[in-house]
Amino acid sequence: MALLKREEWQGFVRDVDWSYSYVDDSAVFPEWHCGTGKVPREAWSAWEEDYKVSYPEYVATQREKEASAYAVKSALQRSTTFDHLDEGWKSATKMHFGGVALVEYAAVLAELKMARFGLNGAWRNMATFGQLDELRHAQITTFFGHEFIGKDAQYDWTQKAFHTNDWVLISLRNLFDGMMIAPNVVDLAIELPLTFETGFTNLQFVALASDALESGDVNFANMISSIQTDEARHSQQGGPTLEILVEHDPVRAQWVIDKAFWGSARAFAALTGPAMDYYTPLEHRKQSYREFMEEWIIDQFVHTIEEYGLKKPWYWDEFMRGLDIWHHGLQMGLWYWRPTLWWRPKAGVSKDERAWLAEKYPNWEKVFGDKWDVLIDNVNANNLEATLPETLPWLCSTCHLPACNATQSRDGTWRVRDWSLQYDGRTYHFCTNGCRQIFWKDRDNVNHQTLIDRFLAGQIQPMDVGGILGYMGLTPDVMGDDPDYEAWTKDYVGRPVEGISLAAQS
Amino acid sequence: MTETPARKPRPRRTFSAFGDVRKMPSEYEIMTHAQNWTLRENRTSAFEQNPSSAPNLWFLTYRDNSPLQAQDWDAYRDPDSLTYRAYVNLQSEAEAKVAGVLETHAEAGSDAQLPAGSVALLGHLFTPTRYLCHGFQQVEAYIGYMAPSSYITNAAAFCTADFLRRVTNVAYRTRELQVAWPDSGIGSAERSLWETHDGWQPARKAVEYALVSYDWGEAFTALNLVLAPTLDDVLLTQLGQVAKGNGDDLSWLLTSLLAADSRRRDRWSRQLAELTIAQRPDNRAVLDKWIGRWSQLADDAAHGLGQLLASLTEGAVRADDVAAHARAARERHLASLLDPASDETTAATG
Ligand SMILES: [Fe+2]
Ligand SMILES: [Fe+2]
Ligand SMILES: [Zn+2]
Repeated sequence: MALLKREEWQGFVRDVDWSYSYVDDSAVFPEWHCGTGKVPREAWSAWEEDYKVSYPEYVATQREKEASAYAVKSALQRSTTFDHLDEGWKSATKMHFGGVALVEYAAVLAELKMARFGLNGAWRNMATFGQLDELRHAQITTFFGHEFIGKDAQYDWTQKAFHTNDWVLISLRNLFDGMMIAPNVVDLAIELPLTFETGFTNLQFVALASDALESGDVNFANMISSIQTDEARHSQQGGPTLEILVEHDPVRAQWVIDKAFWGSARAFAALTGPAMDYYTPLEHRKQSYREFMEEWIIDQFVHTIEEYGLKKPWYWDEFMRGLDIWHHGLQMGLWYWRPTLWWRPKAGVSKDERAWLAEKYPNWEKVFGDKWDVLIDNVNANNLEATLPETLPWLCSTCHLPACNATQSRDGTWRVRDWSLQYDGRTYHFCTNGCRQIFWKDRDNVNHQTLIDRFLAGQIQPMDVGGILGYMGLTPDVMGDDPDYEAWTKDYVGRPVEGISLAAQS
Repeated sequence: MTETPARKPRPRRTFSAFGDVRKMPSEYEIMTHAQNWTLRENRTSAFEQNPSSAPNLWFLTYRDNSPLQAQDWDAYRDPDSLTYRAYVNLQSEAEAKVAGVLETHAEAGSDAQLPAGSVALLGHLFTPTRYLCHGFQQVEAYIGYMAPSSYITNAAAFCTADFLRRVTNVAYRTRELQVAWPDSGIGSAERSLWETHDGWQPARKAVEYALVSYDWGEAFTALNLVLAPTLDDVLLTQLGQVAKGNGDDLSWLLTSLLAADSRRRDRWSRQLAELTIAQRPDNRAVLDKWIGRWSQLADDAAHGLGQLLASLTEGAVRADDVAAHARAARERHLASLLDPASDETTAATG
């Protein structure tokens, strides 16, 4: 006689809710933690995950996964692969380690929150597996990043990044605090598992894994593809939650999903976009960021929201236009403010690379080419000074990223537009109309000082570039610089300097 | 002042967060240290959002301003140094053992041979524990969510999963017993026993109160220092002994195997309590007050279960003895923790 099948007994594991009588239900499930809102409390009893898992299955499967992930790592330990990796690719990995390791830990906290406050026992159990999964991701990412510290101090930011006030990290903390650790669990389940994990993480984990393999970084590819195999399990907390919310409060469901998608799209434009279209060596690029977004995010996202009877977000056209603009503008911002980065940002605008960019993004030369030309000519004139920042970029009061998105005016010219609004006697500035609208709808919660606000308020001392870098936690051994100026400027040596470039030089 | 010649710093070997360490941190430390950014230094609020948002105020009140304070929570180490990898290795082995025991007994048809008294005992004191343990699971998840160091969060995170493990084993046995004894009420009566049977009410009251104890330090004290050590003594140790006496080897083995998780929880919890006192002796008064309050609830709960046990063993055990045994188990767990004389020794080892 063998063991009973899971289906025969799992009902009991899932059936663990009871009626409280010594305390109020609303004390055990406070509204702002649980966010049932217009959904009647008893409606949550219908919550059911599609794909069930039990504790013994979980630990057995995960043990195998861990064993093979670390076996690959130790097999590669003595290889010299790392020393031969392209600087651009290394930068993509540094950005990943610093930008992701502690986000995985934020997800641990998010899952623990759902394990406590989830409105159904089965949901709380799934979140209990979810917090273990995320603990795995945080630990494996941290450990793999740690391995390279001896070779390159920038890998110290695997752990350090999120403890600093670097502008990139303020922006990411703002996003992930808002959609992972702090929100009520209903919003959380829709923002994290549904919008972020079934969509965006694919881009970072599946697409980047293929770039990693192309770049010869088997270790990294191994790590992120192993992580990705866990997502199917815990990301299914989103579906059943959304289904119940849509039934009782479709307006809120639409807003929560729209907000999370927008915030994620902004962050990915800042990080994944440059990594794919500029840092990954040209010969190793499989698709452009835009193509990846279309294939992995947009089709699936539209399909998902339609499946739940929701509409495309109100900002859809602005978002789609942004696919050709946002990450290119941010790449320029990242490169220009390179001393504030914990990686070495490649400019990636040699003639061949520009030809590729122009092919993938027909407006690229028109919108960005002339600005890079100024930088190129300055580098070639040995005037590096002119390519380094003296001031801070204007930061968006919603996404905390530089407000540097060009939009096309009716007369066909491209310019960076200021989106602003007045609130409480103050003017707030935004990178996009979408960010402005989100701020307004969510103004009590997201209203938060940007780095610029802090600077202007005198919180950053001394009030110069040195003071700013210190406030951001940058140390000289980590501060980013271009890994190879010549690589992208030599194609243009000796060309006549004209127009805007000349003006900038004088 | 003489100037020391500028020396090129040696290349880093580990995270700068460890400071200037001579000894290389362990794998456990590398993977666990300062992972929670809401605890970063020089923060104006836990979350990067309006400092007076509801989540920020919650974390300020129940975590940062908890009566339980320490200079350096990141000095805490789980005595078992558990990482994720170590955890799944440990528990997949533990579960393989459980599966072996279950399989052997299923093959032997043990359930069908149980005397009616044993079936009733399990149906009243074992199968209803899935509710209690699920409540514990929720409280432990909250401790992890709110804890002031990732070293503590991780220990609580594994412990949360351990409670799910226990609920899972109880669920499995519930089904097996239901199949063997379809008229026993096993598999259908648990919720009403849990919600209405006199013997269970003090335990339910304790866990419901624990669910709404939102100060993280009090939640930790309530569950890990008081309720769980007390009630595990009744529901694992004493129930296991009674089962063994009845010839129900399966229940005895299963409760003994599950008790390994409780011992591990006791180890890290005790270590954490010691650290708080070593770092700040005033915490003794804080813990003392909480332990006093929760011990009353725990003793009542143990006594209620003792009455249930007494009635199901036809007087072979007495409710008072059950409660006293459980209290003694808790007191061993807390022995000399609050003892002023232990100041120096704890400080030295802490
Ligand atoms: Fe993850
Ligand atoms: Fe995940
Ligand atoms: Zn913005």
